[in-house]
Amino acid sequence: MSEGSTSETKSKAKAILTDTTKCIGCERCVQGCVKKNQLPADLPAHFKADDGLSSVRYTSSVEIDGRQEETSRFVRRQCMHCVDPTCAAACLVGALSKREDGSVRYISSKCIGCRYCMLACPFSIPRYEYDEILPYIRKCKMDETCRVEGGQPACTAACPTGATLFGLREELIAEAKRRIAERPELYVDHIWGEHEFGGTSVIYISDTPLHDVLHIPTPEELARRGVGRLTHESVPHMMHGWVMVTPFQFLGGLAVLGGIAFLRRRSKVMAEQAAASERAHESASSAAKGERAP
Amino acid sequence: MSRERVLKRLKDLLWVLAISGAVIGVGRFVHGLAASTNMMDSLPWGWWKIFNMVAGAAVATSGFVIAAVIYIFRLDRYRAVARLAVLIGFLGYGASLTALIFDIGLPHRGWHPFFMWNPHSFLFEVFWCVSMYWGVTALELLPILSERFPFPKVTHYLHEIMLPFVVLGVTLSTMHHSSLGSLFLASPTRLHPLWHSIWIPPEFLISAMGAGVATMILVVLVLSWLYRWERLLPLLPRLAVVSAFFLGLYLVVKGVDFARHGKWNFVFGPHLTWESWVFWGEITLQTIIPLALFLTPQLRRRNSMLFVGSAAAFLGLVAHRLNTGIVGYFRTSEAIYYPNLSELILSFGVVAAAGLAFFFLIEKFPVLIGVGFGAPEEEHDAHDHVSEAPETGFYWTWDELRVLLTGRGARRVAMISLLTIPLTWAGLHEQATGAFQPIARRVEVAVTGSDVMRTTLVLNANRNDDAIIFPHEKHQKHFSEKFGLKKEDTCVKCHHLALPKDHNTVCRACHTDMHLPTPMFSPERHASRFEKPEQRARFEALDLDDRTENFEACMICHEETMRGLAAYEKRGFSHVAPGFVQAMHGTCMTCHRLEEKDPTDAFSLGNCLGCHRWTPPPEGQEVAQADEPDEPPEPRPFPIPGPVIIPKRGASSAPEASH
Repeated sequence: MSEGSTSETKSKAKAILTDTTKCIGCERCVQGCVKKNQLPADLPAHFKADDGLSSVRYTSSVEIDGRQEETSRFVRRQCMHCVDPTCAAACLVGALSKREDGSVRYISSKCIGCRYCMLACPFSIPRYEYDEILPYIRKCKMDETCRVEGGQPACTAACPTGATLFGLREELIAEAKRRIAERPELYVDHIWGEHEFGGTSVIYISDTPLHDVLHIPTPEELARRGVGRLTHESVPHMMHGWVMVTPFQFLGGLAVLGGIAFLRRRSKVMAEQAAASERAHESASSAAKGERAP
Repeated sequence: MSRERVLKRLKDLLWVLAISGAVIGVGRFVHGLAASTNMMDSLPWGWWKIFNMVAGAAVATSGFVIAAVIYIFRLDRYRAVARLAVLIGFLGYGASLTALIFDIGLPHRGWHPFFMWNPHSFLFEVFWCVSMYWGVTALELLPILSERFPFPKVTHYLHEIMLPFVVLGVTLSTMHHSSLGSLFLASPTRLHPLWHSIWIPPEFLISAMGAGVATMILVVLVLSWLYRWERLLPLLPRLAVVSAFFLGLYLVVKGVDFARHGKWNFVFGPHLTWESWVFWGEITLQTIIPLALFLTPQLRRRNSMLFVGSAAAFLGLVAHRLNTGIVGYFRTSEAIYYPNLSELILSFGVVAAAGLAFFFLIEKFPVLIGVGFGAPEEEHDAHDHVSEAPETGFYWTWDELRVLLTGRGARRVAMISLLTIPLTWAGLHEQATGAFQPIARRVEVAVTGSDVMRTTLVLNANRNDDAIIFPHEKHQKHFSEKFGLKKEDTCVKCHHLALPKDHNTVCRACHTDMHLPTPMFSPERHASRFEKPEQRARFEALDLDDRTENFEACMICHEETMRGLAAYEKRGFSHVAPGFVQAMHGTCMTCHRLEEKDPTDAFSLGNCLGCHRWTPPPEGQEVAQADEPDEPPEPRPFPIPGPVIIPKRGASSAPEASH
């Protein structure tokens, strides 16, 4: 789908590149996000059963096994800000939408709390304020509301090692490719988020495979599931055919069923009329007979 | 038990469930979703949505199939059950929508989809079609009101305009049943391939039609037994064939789907997972048993076999929807969801309320035509047979109210409350205490932790469940005032436990060493803070050194700040820190950085790379060679923010390979 979007949107679309080989797991990005969004206290990521995201943590740092024994890598989790987001296609009131600056925005005043975006998100990112009486969806915003001085989001600005960078999506992909080309013995030759699910605005490079932690299945796994197209195609695009069927289903259903109903009704009425006239005829003839009989 | 007694007890049970459900439903709005459900972030759609909405809508399909057969195809032999079918549809959808009110987070915004459109959303389509279809079924049921009360003109008029609405209702039905399946199209990587398919919309529609007719058979069988009707039973074998047609079609479509998308290995192996067995159970219930019973002429004439077959189809459909909506997500979500007591009581309570309304309507209104039942003109006959006022379980007329007030009615009320009160109490107790917390919210490790902002920590430093409240921010402030340091540079004054030049140190590699002696605690400095000499003497008598085993000794004076973890949990502290774990990071570095002679030396202890090599050496390769630069790096479009500079990878500053 990235090919489908216009060049203007492409040039404006911002993105975040995370290079896990530079991440030391200090959680400064989480701190920056928490400070900027004034989030309340929560348990740290590695004390939770899931990936550390919650309704009060829009980003987190997940520890995975490194390439060598006894080593670790830390992977930043956050909203992937898909180029063609499934959540935006799923939301029935349009509370989620992709914006020109690359972020996927959540308009809480529209939300009715159905949580379909959470079910639809391929990366299981949106979180829900289950504890609240009036709950809303919470996730990373990546828009003006979380920018600090210098125009960066608070998370990338806080990173001490430059492991997570903010910039134009095209340029960041070029940077990622350059890094991989410079150190082919280090990096896995893959940019997570470049093409999968139609591309995401949060992309990753790493020296260990990130398929599991990012919930981006390998091409083999996708093929095994019978949806190999998703290596380069977005979920909304895959569903688009069925969306297009809907109006035809409505009009076609009305036409076919209405036609059948009309025809059946007419034949019924005609049969009734025929029966009535026959009855009338019979009664007339019997009446005639009756007149004649006595 | 006689049939009358069974009917009475059945109604009592429905009353119990409905009342309990109503109270639990109020509790859900008071306590919130987290307390009343087991839903979690990784499995956000729980029992209410999948069982009540997705499965409930499917088993209420009879309304549209039978309506199509009777009103559109004009097969008059089924006319006797026409209104029954539409009533099942109306009440089924009503129950589903009622359950949704409790399920969605902001039900007062339920009208939003009418005005805020997203036509690309399948849920939008479901919402519109279901709400419109519900209205159409209500309209289709209006004649039973106009016939019950003497409005002959209205009745005639309604019959005249009925056909277009039936056509509209049937069309809307086919649309939302396929769209309910399309909802799950959105999770191709999360839903198990046995249930996810690009063909899921027609599969949902066909299976719903088959199971809807089977449910109709089930309802007619049960009602005929309860009310001793005979006249509807001859219709059932024919309906069974209709049901079997759709169920068989579903089986064929599913088979072709599997073949087309290469999924047979999930069903027949070689590597069967537990999902395969769940699928086998589901498909056996849903199609194989009903098909075997419905397609054998000798069997489908027997009511018992019809009952087994239609019950299997009904349960199989519910299983299929639950598997598609919940169970199929278990593997990828790495979590297990099961409904808690509150969810179950509310869910079945809503269904029970619909069941009560159903019995009420078929007993009081002309729903069934020509079975000698319910029609107003035959009511007098019924009264003639029963000498005393009938106890129907509904308190609609004065006679029935009088029954309630006499002895037998009071006994009945007492029995209902005897069952309702403990059930309601159990559900509300669970909500209030949060006995079943969502799995994702449960902390697996012992309750220790810290806020990422590190203001106040509860430390379990010795991992022995004795904890202290540690005002971390105050300490930072104190040190920054005393030493004139920046707040974030003060940490090293306490935390000095680096493993320098250790390759790629995991944070926790350091922080598990907290039981070792550390120079954290300085007895001299501590003693110097005492103003009264007797305090100092008491402290010195303890003869403390800098080991962490001094915890017991600290307790002697600092009882107020050092307690067992359980005491803090009781006080509502859920954010408890694991010793040094969060404290260490970014600390050594910041002070080292201040003392660094060459701040551009990337591998000095002041920079991250001093401990954490950003490049783990490949196996068997010398580190220095891997880091050997040929030329200075060209300027990059992304200057790295913060104080850490892109390393000049000089051979002199490259770390040694040894630990």
